[in-house]
Amino acid sequence: MYRKQVRRRRAVLVLLVVACLMLISISISQAESGPLHSVQRSISSVLNPIADGADRALKPARDLVNWFDETFDARGENEELQSEVAQLQEENLALRDAAEEAGYDAELEKLAESSGLDGYEQVGASVRMRSFTTWNATMTIDAGSSDGVERDDAVVTDDGLAGIVTDVTGGSAVVDLITNPDIAVTARVVGEGPVGLIVPIVGSNRLDFTLIQGDKEVKDGDELVTAGFSSDETLASIYPAEIPIGAVKEAIPAEQAQRQQVTVEPFADLADLDQVTVLTGGEQ
Amino acid sequence: MIVTPPILARLALIVFLAVIFQLAFFSRVPLLGSVANLIPVVIVALGLLGGAVTGAVSGFAAGLLIDTMIGGTPGVTSLSLMAAGYLAGRWREGYDIVSSLVPPLLTGALCGVAALAYAALQLTLGVDAQVSALAIREILAQALLGALLAIPVFPLIRRVLRPALVDDARGRARVSSGAMSRGVERGRWRLSA
Repeated sequence: MYRKQVRRRRAVLVLLVVACLMLISISISQAESGPLHSVQRSISSVLNPIADGADRALKPARDLVNWFDETFDARGENEELQSEVAQLQEENLALRDAAEEAGYDAELEKLAESSGLDGYEQVGASVRMRSFTTWNATMTIDAGSSDGVERDDAVVTDDGLAGIVTDVTGGSAVVDLITNPDIAVTARVVGEGPVGLIVPIVGSNRLDFTLIQGDKEVKDGDELVTAGFSSDETLASIYPAEIPIGAVKEAIPAEQAQRQQVTVEPFADLADLDQVTVLTGGEQ
Repeated sequence: MIVTPPILARLALIVFLAVIFQLAFFSRVPLLGSVANLIPVVIVALGLLGGAVTGAVSGFAAGLLIDTMIGGTPGVTSLSLMAAGYLAGRWREGYDIVSSLVPPLLTGALCGVAALAYAALQLTLGVDAQVSALAIREILAQALLGALLAIPVFPLIRRVLRPALVDDARGRARVSSGAMSRGVERGRWRLSA
């Protein structure tokens, strides 16, 4: 009797392990439009209403926990921010005076109009679910193909780039965050700064900026935006240009010279995403 | 555990609710630089109460559901959760739960095993990015938070599955027969007195 139980247990385990390995193998070898991914999408669209309901039902509890967390953090930051605001207000006034004197107003307006978001439709969405590991940093949002969202659309918050749409169903979309190891973004330092490639550092909430144009130096605090890089008709970035990504946090000169790399902290608060905007349409 | 169709339905509901709670709540509440992971806690509890087969099958199902809902590679999460569920079941088949500290401590350790297995699988499949030493912090945080979550979750799941638990049924039988015999003895004593 005991031997029979052991045999049954081992058989079930072997069967499940083989099933997992087959699923992994099929998923990797198959295109996004393959049968396995289609089945995944179908099941996902059936479960979407349930996930939506759960998201709404659990929102008050989530808000309560986040409120405690934010209040605790805000107490520590309050004094620091007050002095920072005073300093920035002074700097802002001085810069405005200088811009007025130099007659930059018209040029600044023109620059704002010509930002990389021209021609992109903005679709607002709420975050419905989040993954629980940095190895696969994804989320699902409540906007899908019925709202005009398409695969490879950029997803942004008020602060900056959050991720990219990797899968779409009728009423929802899966977004890979910029901290997901599968994501890489071409970026450049604001102004005429160097261009490079941003990839995540798994386990931390930071990004790695590898310089393609290594002759220019990058300093702490330098801000990075999407490059919207395009070399010819076949090679082009899927992100619109000029979306803020983050600020350089650790630019160690020796490391920069040797490995052509600096560490970047994203502007978007990726740990606490609730509302996002999908930039759809435009030149993909 | 005696798995009848109603108990199977309860098991499926437990796994489904755990996945929904995880993705819609726990994953969106950052704690200790990471997030609490309810799913391995539930899978370990099912393994401890139902044995290795129940633990492994529950882990497989939960993993598939997660990967379907958040767009992961199907099979990866299942393998890591199966490891936790199977090991919990094997432990239960070899030893008794002699202290109330055993489930939380074992759950913490197996949550760490599940997180480690997931990281190892991802590395095996190939990661096109640098890996920070802080990834170890995530594994430790998930183990610690898993141990804390197990304190309320294990008794809750035990309560839901009580009709199917052989040990609890034996315990109840022992209690009722013990009480009956004590009552008879007292009656006799009273009668004789």
